[in-house]
Amino acid sequence: MRLPRFEYLGPKTLEGALDLMATHRDDAKILAGGTDLLVRMKKGLIRPKTIISLKALDELAYIKRDTRENRNNILIGGRTLIADIIASDLVQRKAPALSRACERIGAITLQHFVGTLAGNILQDNRCWHYNQSQFHRSGRGACHKDGGKICYARQDSDRCNSTCQSDGATALMALNASITLQRKGGRRRVDLADFYTNDGIAPHAIESHELLTQICIPIQGGQSAYKRLSYRSAIDYPLVCAGVLLIPSTASPTEISEARIVVGAMGRSPLYMAAASASLGGKKLDDTDAFQKAGKAAMDTAATFAVHNVGSTLEYRYAMVAEMVFQALTEAGEAARETGQKAANKGVQ
Amino acid sequence: MDKIEISLTINETPYQMRVLPNDTLLEVLRNQLDLTGSKEGCDEGVCGSCTVHMDGKPVRACLTLALEARGRKIKTVEGLATGDALSDLQQSFIDHGAVQCGFCTPGMLMAGEALLSTTPGPDEQTIRRALSGNICRCTGYAKIVTAVAHAGNPQAPCPDCRTQTPYLQAKE
Ligand SMILES: Cc1cc2nc3c(=O)[nH]c(=O)nc-3n(C[C@H](O)[C@H](O)[C@H](O)COP(=O)(O)OP(=O)(O)OC[C@H]3O[C@@H](n4cnc5c(N)ncnc54)[C@H](O)[C@@H]3O)c2cc1C
Ligand code: SF4
Ligand code: FES
Ligand code: FES
Repeated sequence: MRLPRFEYLGPKTLEGALDLMATHRDDAKILAGGTDLLVRMKKGLIRPKTIISLKALDELAYIKRDTRENRNNILIGGRTLIADIIASDLVQRKAPALSRACERIGAITLQHFVGTLAGNILQDNRCWHYNQSQFHRSGRGACHKDGGKICYARQDSDRCNSTCQSDGATALMALNASITLQRKGGRRRVDLADFYTNDGIAPHAIESHELLTQICIPIQGGQSAYKRLSYRSAIDYPLVCAGVLLIPSTASPTEISEARIVVGAMGRSPLYMAAASASLGGKKLDDTDAFQKAGKAAMDTAATFAVHNVGSTLEYRYAMVAEMVFQALTEAGEAARETGQKAANKGVQ
Repeated sequence: MDKIEISLTINETPYQMRVLPNDTLLEVLRNQLDLTGSKEGCDEGVCGSCTVHMDGKPVRACLTLALEARGRKIKTVEGLATGDALSDLQQSFIDHGAVQCGFCTPGMLMAGEALLSTTPGPDEQTIRRALSGNICRCTGYAKIVTAVAHAGNPQAPCPDCRTQTPYLQAKE
């Protein structure tokens, strides 16, 4: 498969990149690792006139802790590699859900040493009727996402129901992450939870001249976990995934004060499970029954969003939402109890 | 769109050539430089048969623009042997019957070499994980995993390791 033709620009500085993005706007696409973009270009799903490569922007490749003015955040640059996040001790200790999610993205030889977390968040939604070769798609009329007026995944649907299968986004949303979008002459910060539009055709609230320059994860205490199901343990995208964060109460450290449950690969965006999360307030960190109920509640919510367009069967994926959420909660709960124990022991000494 | 003059370092040899922005590293290797060891299986990142090293790390050549390989050290399967002397891993693939049709082999070797360069003596789980991005339609993986485990590390009970042969003596 030949790539379609394009003009290649390799800015040397962040400023240079923002200038070029302001000039080329919709005609240009950013190239990070290319493991999402180039595949879509090969299949003729997108034909940018210009490619702006982030290759030279080493200034955007970092992982650091920000503790200025009482802040306590992990900051990850807009061109930081997945491999560097997996290797980061800071991420492993303070945001294990993100470590686990990154380990599970595709495969080591595929994107870990070229792919970026920013590219992972910004990868396009997917659907097995759409992410196909030009030849395959030429056998029938174009669907909504391909510029047509029909959806093959859900009968009579007036819009696209493509699925967000980003591992990184699901974990980051559970961790309450926000991102910085920079453009020539300005920047804005958006909570990841507000960044997803729920629109299958344009799933992200980003302008064509905006560059994702930084991801910020607040260190809130508590423990996070991530679980994921796919056909094969590597290469394949998730069929269901769940990221959770459990924050114990300071007054009684064996109880949950706040929970965040996010389910991925089941909707047009990663799904924050408000009711399931709220149901865990005041529950014990090892309340298996409550975790099971939260899993079921998440399953019921996810079932209203999911469409049969990424593989397996819907029934199986529903059931696995409950299971992934339950497993993630159990793991985070155990880890939180362990840290609580350690802290208590230290107090005694 | 015009061709762009670039220089690439492949297997420690510098090359000057002219490429289009939409040429992938795999196309340049195979079509311009006749380095046909790296294979095109799927051409969309799934199979791993095009795996090469970029600055020592395994990547997909089919998803790498030739322009993006500028200034990086590229190593392909052709760069593993020293003259006629195969690398330990290549020899081990032969000894353990880890090659059937051979189409996945260049990618498997590059994934395996990348692992061994950072993790000497890896256990089975580590090997399986390092190779998990590479698909083999023939072998069922068992012999490939053993070949990586025993590369330069012959095991006495293994009937396929050249434990008593001149191979070992030559190495001593
Ligand atoms: C076989 C295969 C399996 C895969 N499996 C998984 C999987 O299991 N889980 C998963 O989550 N993903 C998977 N992916 C998708 C993809 O490889 C990853 O999401 C990867 O992290 C994308 O990062 P990248 O740097 O390569 O992105 P790119 O392809 O370079 O970019 C992706 C998109 O983001 C835009 N972009 C990138 N960086 C920026 C920025 N800083 N600012 C603005 N826009 C930007 C690009 O323009 C493009 O539209 C898979 C891909 C393949 C081919
Ligand atoms: S969900 Fe429907 S409109 Fe969207 S990509 Fe799939 S078939 Fe096309
Ligand atoms: S040819 Fe590159 S991964 Fe299959
Ligand atoms: S030996 Fe045939 S694909 Fe692996």
